[in-house]
Amino acid sequence: MNRSLMLAGLAVCIAGGAIVNRMNYPLWQENFSPRKDSDLRGLSGDQLLIALAGFREMVAGILWVRADTFFDEGNYDAILPIIRLVTMLDPKQIDVYATGMWHIAYNFTDEQSRSDRRYIPSALALGAEGSKNNDYTYELFFETGWLWYHKIDDDYSNAAKWWEEANKRKDMQTARKNILAMAYLRDGNMTGAIEHYEELWNAASDNFDKNPNDFQARQNVDTLEVNLDNLLVRLAQRGNFAIENGTYDQYDYDTRPPYDVGFTAQVTVEDSKILRVEGTWNVQPVGTRVRIVLRDKDKPNLRPAALKWDQGTSVDLEPEKDMTFMQDGLFVKNQAFFRRIDMARDPTMYPFNSDNYVIEFYYNPRSAPPHIQDRFGFNGEGMTDKNYLNTDVREGQRVIYAQLEISRDELLRQGEWATRTPVKRTIGFIPTGARNTEEVINVPGLRNDVQEGQ
Amino acid sequence: MGAILSIAKTTIGEAIRRRVLLVILLVGVLFLVIAPGLSVLSLRQNYTVLTSFTLGVIQLTSAVIAIVLTVYLLPNEVERRTIYTILSKPVYRWHFLLGKYLGAVGALGMMMLLMSTVLVLVFRIMQQQASMDDVLQLATAPIFFFVQMSLLAAVAMFFSTFVSPIVNFFLSGGVYLVGTLFSPVFQDLSNNQTLPAAVKGAATVIHSIVPNFAQYNIQGGIINQGPELRSIELYYVQIVVYALFYIAAFLIAGMMIFDRKEV
Repeated sequence: MNRSLMLAGLAVCIAGGAIVNRMNYPLWQENFSPRKDSDLRGLSGDQLLIALAGFREMVAGILWVRADTFFDEGNYDAILPIIRLVTMLDPKQIDVYATGMWHIAYNFTDEQSRSDRRYIPSALALGAEGSKNNDYTYELFFETGWLWYHKIDDDYSNAAKWWEEANKRKDMQTARKNILAMAYLRDGNMTGAIEHYEELWNAASDNFDKNPNDFQARQNVDTLEVNLDNLLVRLAQRGNFAIENGTYDQYDYDTRPPYDVGFTAQVTVEDSKILRVEGTWNVQPVGTRVRIVLRDKDKPNLRPAALKWDQGTSVDLEPEKDMTFMQDGLFVKNQAFFRRIDMARDPTMYPFNSDNYVIEFYYNPRSAPPHIQDRFGFNGEGMTDKNYLNTDVREGQRVIYAQLEISRDELLRQGEWATRTPVKRTIGFIPTGARNTEEVINVPGLRNDVQEGQ
Repeated sequence: MGAILSIAKTTIGEAIRRRVLLVILLVGVLFLVIAPGLSVLSLRQNYTVLTSFTLGVIQLTSAVIAIVLTVYLLPNEVERRTIYTILSKPVYRWHFLLGKYLGAVGALGMMMLLMSTVLVLVFRIMQQQASMDDVLQLATAPIFFFVQMSLLAAVAMFFSTFVSPIVNFFLSGGVYLVGTLFSPVFQDLSNNQTLPAAVKGAATVIHSIVPNFAQYNIQGGIINQGPELRSIELYYVQIVVYALFYIAAFLIAGMMIFDRKEV
């Protein structure tokens, strides 16, 4: 054979193959790439061989079944590497991402059932990764949004962002679409909430017109009507429309005048890592919880009464072990709260490696139930406190925020504090005394006149 | 053409009489038959484990058969001196090489067809609620595994023109490994704007030369049925065209070497 011709043929074939290969790649990546970023660096050699041999999904499936046993045994630590391995081997396993996020964010708790919130950034990163790898379905966008909405419960703009993405997916369930309006509301975006309800109501009405005998279609229209109706009434009564129109000061809206919550608190270090927290809160008891946070004073990734939850897209299942971050809710009864917080039995969750700490009290009406928001408003316009009303820690919102500083020696009752009891208190602390131990729960009104009448 | 087909036909006959290949095939079929037994390990994951395992068995068995079958084709002929009888007739060396390759691919196709039939039977028995569309979708994977293995056979045929069978076994296996696992990595590197130009250039060259076996691993879309596949017909056509280009390239390179080789 003519060698020149063969060489030319060889060159043509290689060039042709290379061109087709480049043309193929985007389609391969979109349709068949296990991970959108082709990242298998987290796998060991033997795991890579398994993946190479084409048994990737099988191994992932079996591992996930194995994780079930660990759930039953309560061996939560053992589940973490399995979650990571399964999502690497088969990134299309939506259930594993969803369950993994929930597990990481909710299930690592201390002896008093407080979550280890240092894991939340990893749970969010897992959700982001899962959404990227399964962007054809709403599920992981919805789950990630739920984590922001329910678990973090303080940054609803991110919940809204994720749910907006979920709503763009064709398979998003009709009943779940409503919740985006709730996220808009809690984010202070009233117009967004109304427009979203209206959009859903229009779609539901069209569907009902086409299927007048469909009970589900009818129920959907009714639900949306009630939701929209309630929202408009609430916004009107709370004065939100008036705020927009500039007439808020002229009428007696439910949020006027601002109600003094009368916040005071005292923290006593009863024993090493054991706190007794008590204080006053002149607010209707049902549905009120004041957030308390104890954290390192100077660590990166911290913000007032919270962590910086979104710390990037890297899934790291080892939280920052040096960091101490305790968050709890103080349940208010009879206008007072009392709680004993024991951190002594969970040294890995509360390492207390820093020299200085802060104890923060935080109340944001956006996280409150609707009947509280009716008085306080979404942005706290119906709420005040002579000492601890704060407009800085959450931009555009009026929240209650108090901070007490405490040292490591005080918390661990060591050094000069071995024989003395450290007590930290806010300005004007009012001792709650026996009031909180009463069996009867008083339900005061939120209006000033009712309060005065008691 | 007649000579090529005669050689191919003879090669198929030889291949299906080779015990080592039959043993490998038997092991593969055996694994397919016992696959449903894995359901004890796969609570709630029956479909995933069954399809992934069976398709994995077919792919792995086919790869071993493709390499073992091809690495011995030329050296055996030389060793047994039967090649002299053939080349003394009006048969060109490239006829011989092409005939051997087509015979190997034919034998491989027959063996893969047998395994695919078992796969479909097992699937029908175990997933009785599955529709005909599901079965056809499942059968798509072995078709493209066959294209993949034909490419792998061409690689092994090329190496068999100048290295011993044992070396060839590891060389072809290595190319398969690199082409399956690292092709996407090299592609990502060549597209990465933050890397130095030299690294990007090297990645592009490697990615262009090493056969990309990864693109035939389409089982992910079958096992995880959620995602809607985009332009899938175009993709299938393109990967077949790619295989034809590369098979031709390896065979031409093999012919050029074999043409000058003293036998």
